Amino acid sequence: MGNKQEIKHVKRKNQEETNSTEKEAESTEDEELLNVINGEDEDSSDDDELEISGSENEESDEEDEESEDNEEVESEEESENTDDDQESEESDNEENSEVKAENSKNLGDSAGANINEKVANNEYEDFDSSDEEDIRNTVGNIPMNWYNEYKHLGYDWDGNQILKPETGDNLDAFLKRMEDPDFWRTVKDPQTGQDVVLSDEDINLIKRITAQKIPDETFDEYAPWIEWFTSEVEQMPLRKFPEHKRSFLPSKHEARKVSKLVHALKMGWIKTRAEAAKLRAKKEPQFYMLWQTDDQAEDMRRIYKHISAPKRILPGHAESYNPPPEYLFDEKELKQWNKLKSAPWKRKLHFVPQKFDSLRKVPAYPRFIKERFLRCLDLYLCPRAIKMKLNIEPESLVPKLPSPKDLQPFPTILAIEYKGEKCQIFFFLLQKINWFYNLGHTDMVRSISIDKTGQYLLSGSDDCTIKIWEVNTGRCLKTIKTNSVVRSVEWCPNAALSLVLVATGQEVLLINPNVGDYLVNSKTDTVLQDVPKSDVVTPERVRATVQWIEPDEEQYKNGVRLILKHFKDVCQVTWHAKGDYFATVMPDGQNRSVLISQISRRRSQLPFTKSKGLVQCVLFHPTKPFLFVATQRHVRIYDLVKQALMKKLLTNSKWISCMAIHPLGDNLVVGTYDRKMLWFDLDLSTKPYQTLRLHGTAVRGVAFHKHYPLFASGSDDRSLIVSHGMVYNDLLQNPLIVPLKRLQNHEGFNDFGIFDVVFHPLQPWVFSSGADATIKLYNN
Amino acid sequence: MQNSNEGHLQIRLITKQQIYAVPDVPLSVPQTIDGNSLNDLVNQLLKESNSDHLKPKNFDFLAIGELLRVPLIEHLAERNISTETTVEIEYVEKTPAPEPKDSLLHDDWVCGIEATEKWILTGCYDNSVNIWSTHGKMVASLKEHKNIVKAVSWIDKSDPNRGFISVSHDLIGIIWSYEDGTDSAAPKALLRGHERGIDSLGVSPNTARLATGGWDTNLKLWSTSLDDDGSEHVHKKIRSTNNIVTKTPLHTLKGHKEAITGINWIDNYAVSTVSMDHTIKFWDAELCGIKNEIVGQKAYLSSSWSSINNTLLASSADRHIRLYDPRSSEGSLCKVTFTSHSLWVSSVAWSNYDTNLFISGGYDSSVKMWDVRSSKAPLYNLQGHEGQVLKVDWSNKKYMVSGGSDNSVHIFKNKHV
Repeated sequence: MGNKQEIKHVKRKNQEETNSTEKEAESTEDEELLNVINGEDEDSSDDDELEISGSENEESDEEDEESEDNEEVESEEESENTDDDQESEESDNEENSEVKAENSKNLGDSAGANINEKVANNEYEDFDSSDEEDIRNTVGNIPMNWYNEYKHLGYDWDGNQILKPETGDNLDAFLKRMEDPDFWRTVKDPQTGQDVVLSDEDINLIKRITAQKIPDETFDEYAPWIEWFTSEVEQMPLRKFPEHKRSFLPSKHEARKVSKLVHALKMGWIKTRAEAAKLRAKKEPQFYMLWQTDDQAEDMRRIYKHISAPKRILPGHAESYNPPPEYLFDEKELKQWNKLKSAPWKRKLHFVPQKFDSLRKVPAYPRFIKERFLRCLDLYLCPRAIKMKLNIEPESLVPKLPSPKDLQPFPTILAIEYKGEKCQIFFFLLQKINWFYNLGHTDMVRSISIDKTGQYLLSGSDDCTIKIWEVNTGRCLKTIKTNSVVRSVEWCPNAALSLVLVATGQEVLLINPNVGDYLVNSKTDTVLQDVPKSDVVTPERVRATVQWIEPDEEQYKNGVRLILKHFKDVCQVTWHAKGDYFATVMPDGQNRSVLISQISRRRSQLPFTKSKGLVQCVLFHPTKPFLFVATQRHVRIYDLVKQALMKKLLTNSKWISCMAIHPLGDNLVVGTYDRKMLWFDLDLSTKPYQTLRLHGTAVRGVAFHKHYPLFASGSDDRSLIVSHGMVYNDLLQNPLIVPLKRLQNHEGFNDFGIFDVVFHPLQPWVFSSGADATIKLYNN
Repeated sequence: MQNSNEGHLQIRLITKQQIYAVPDVPLSVPQTIDGNSLNDLVNQLLKESNSDHLKPKNFDFLAIGELLRVPLIEHLAERNISTETTVEIEYVEKTPAPEPKDSLLHDDWVCGIEATEKWILTGCYDNSVNIWSTHGKMVASLKEHKNIVKAVSWIDKSDPNRGFISVSHDLIGIIWSYEDGTDSAAPKALLRGHERGIDSLGVSPNTARLATGGWDTNLKLWSTSLDDDGSEHVHKKIRSTNNIVTKTPLHTLKGHKEAITGINWIDNYAVSTVSMDHTIKFWDAELCGIKNEIVGQKAYLSSSWSSINNTLLASSADRHIRLYDPRSSEGSLCKVTFTSHSLWVSSVAWSNYDTNLFISGGYDSSVKMWDVRSSKAPLYNLQGHEGQVLKVDWSNKKYMVSGGSDNSVHIFKNKHV
């Protein structure tokens, strides 16, 4: 049943597929067959093999025909399906194996005997006739279709035509197919045109070849390997004869040759490779670097500290044969260049840049030799010397100042203003006229001073008043009217005396302000009341300069205790540190411009007989009996005991305005109208240790703090500058000066800014009095 | 709360005032919530929980012990508090704004003030000591002093009949007798002993002692009694013709280097002084020695001791008010610095009923009311002065009184009590 189904299947397939596929189908079919035969046929012999090899040619010739007749064969096969089951196998691969088994059995029974028979019979024939049969036709190996037109196929050995056998018509062929069982294995011999029936061996062979197997089916591909030439070293020689003698005796000929070579080496006739290389190296010319590097000074032998020639400037764009157009001279430049003919060294370029189309058009440089010569002359004649150059950055020369943050406390903020409040004037003028005097100044405040405890502030103003203020509240406690503009005020440094010095016009007033300790106030009054008797006659010169006058009743009520009437306007008064002496300055007084007075004796002296210049201000040393006198350009220090000039400080400025001395007495700050502040270290030199140009305009007031390392300066540019001025006990250490803060709260008036600067005696606070009629307190 | 695109915070609202308690549940609020929205929230909650709560109240909110003045997230960020935990926010009824009540016009600057239940005592730059009623009527103007009166004080604030004391720059302090309700005040005793102007004055809590200090840098202790200055004391009494006793100090305590600007009795036996020499000193009034000393950076101008929370407020010659806890052992003694004045703070005064409130007056002509828990901004600025404020007083808890260089005393009514 299964077979029948397969056949049907094959038929249908055949209809569908083309011829080529049919061919394939056939071959596979044959292959199957061959396999089967192979499996059966075990006892094949060498003879078979030979036979098959001999018949190969025949088959190969026949193959063409076979392919031509394929259609016929196919049709035959189809018809034979019922007889042989093999043909159907190709159709269904899955069932192949089963069918194979069956087929092999069938074939084994039928074909096995035939083969054996044939081998026995044809042994001889096949052996000899294989060549002869081939060449029965003598036409040679030509395409047989040349004979298609003829009746014959060629010629036999005798020259007779070999006639083409009669080919039957289709009917004959059909009949043959139907009747002849060997039809499928009948092929046409192209040489003779005869039909040849292929033997089983032939078919087997064909099948093996087409399956790409070894045609000889008796050849055992998997035969055990025989190692004819082994890699192992044998114990015994393979060969029977022994080794030749020369294989173990040294050759005399070679020895002779070697000895010859050794002798030649010894004699130096020939060289070893190493020797030859050495020799070659010796022979080759020796090169060395003329310059180690390009930029370093060349280290020339025998010349000690050789100074290399200066390098020429590398050519620039202007030297180019084709310079950019901006380098080419225009008319003006060319004119200028030509103009400098007499002074060629002044030219920017020593040649005129030229433009050429190409490098080959550049002519020879006419000055080449000349310039080389000049260069050589230069190098030869110009002495060279090593110039040591110090590269110091300007920043490194600036001393590193500490940050102001680390130098606290110092005044930074405006705390209190000591001034009148205008709205209140009108309000209280109605109620109390007296109140008016408790208000602030109405004109420029030229001078201020603070009492020792820091409780009261004294100020003198151009409105012809002095005022006493309560520092902590800004309250004006007292107003004392004077006859003239108040130029200078100063509180007595003696704690036992309640006195202030006021310079107003030509008068110097000694006023008891009557604030603070009542005991001191009353004691001061009593001290001043009794006039000391003295028999010393005041010299005429002094008498003409100053007169001591007792105040009248009203003045006494106001607090004035003594009046010193001078012959000229007094512009400055200053106390000695002990509070007994004071100095007054009259700039117009010529040689009588400085006057020193003593309260306890009510006596005045004129320390100088000669005028050294316009005296600006004077100052007592805080501890020693020295007097500092500042004229316009110099500060002179006099020893009052020895009555001699000690030192003259050169300020190098045009006009001194004010000065202040450090509480320790070794440092002096001088303010000048030409905007400078000069710090003198008196131990160091007579020239300023440091010049501070911090202000924009004239400096009018400088002051030192008594305890804190601070000093301040006020100027016409309305700014008060607070600086750190640390003086060290160590003489080797220079004072440290750091400007800290600029305080600019005053308003300007008539180009005046700040007049006076005073530090609080205990707190790090600073007061400044200004042209805007106010006094300002700055605290930390 | 509906604004979902910003972060939320967990807060828990707590209060110590039982009538305003809200359910103790954590609430989620936006990070940027501020006092006003919290106030709305609390009022809402109160309305829900308590039907009696009709009128919305104003509350102040305390987070981490400090008043909330900025959005909550900033408040927490300033103090490095994690926003992930539940923040406890305490709320208290807001201190109502003081209300200006009266202005007492003087002839000159007023720099000493003390108020009692009925009377206000002022010391004036025109050398007068004045008594005003709290209703703004001048009762007496006493001109015994010869110089500006710097400080005044009642001997017993609860009993004006015991008299009062004034100190002046004429180096004399005067103990005055006073009959309540009349203008009959008379000097009873002169305190002589200071060598320079007296600036500060303090009466001990039991009214038996008196301390004065001034520009002679000495702290002097006096007895307040007029009659029993008996034989046990060394000081002699001089009876003048018109019955005025001249007293000399019981003790003179030296130690300060500059003017003493503030005196406060801590208890009956301890005095604290602040001085321009940058120190605060605590003295033992019995043993007459320095107990403790705090060294500051600036000159002190005034101080105030709170007997409720035992801390000292001191204002210095800069713009700050500093709170000192003399008993604290760890950290710096200066606990908080209050900064809002633009010029020197001339005077500070604790409230005598609340641990957190005080007032201060400065040269920037402002009187400020502070809560200790808010150091950056005061609760209220009390406007009115046109010049420097020289002295503030809150000894009568109903009135905050301040005097200044505009010759007036301003009275603000405290609505908190």
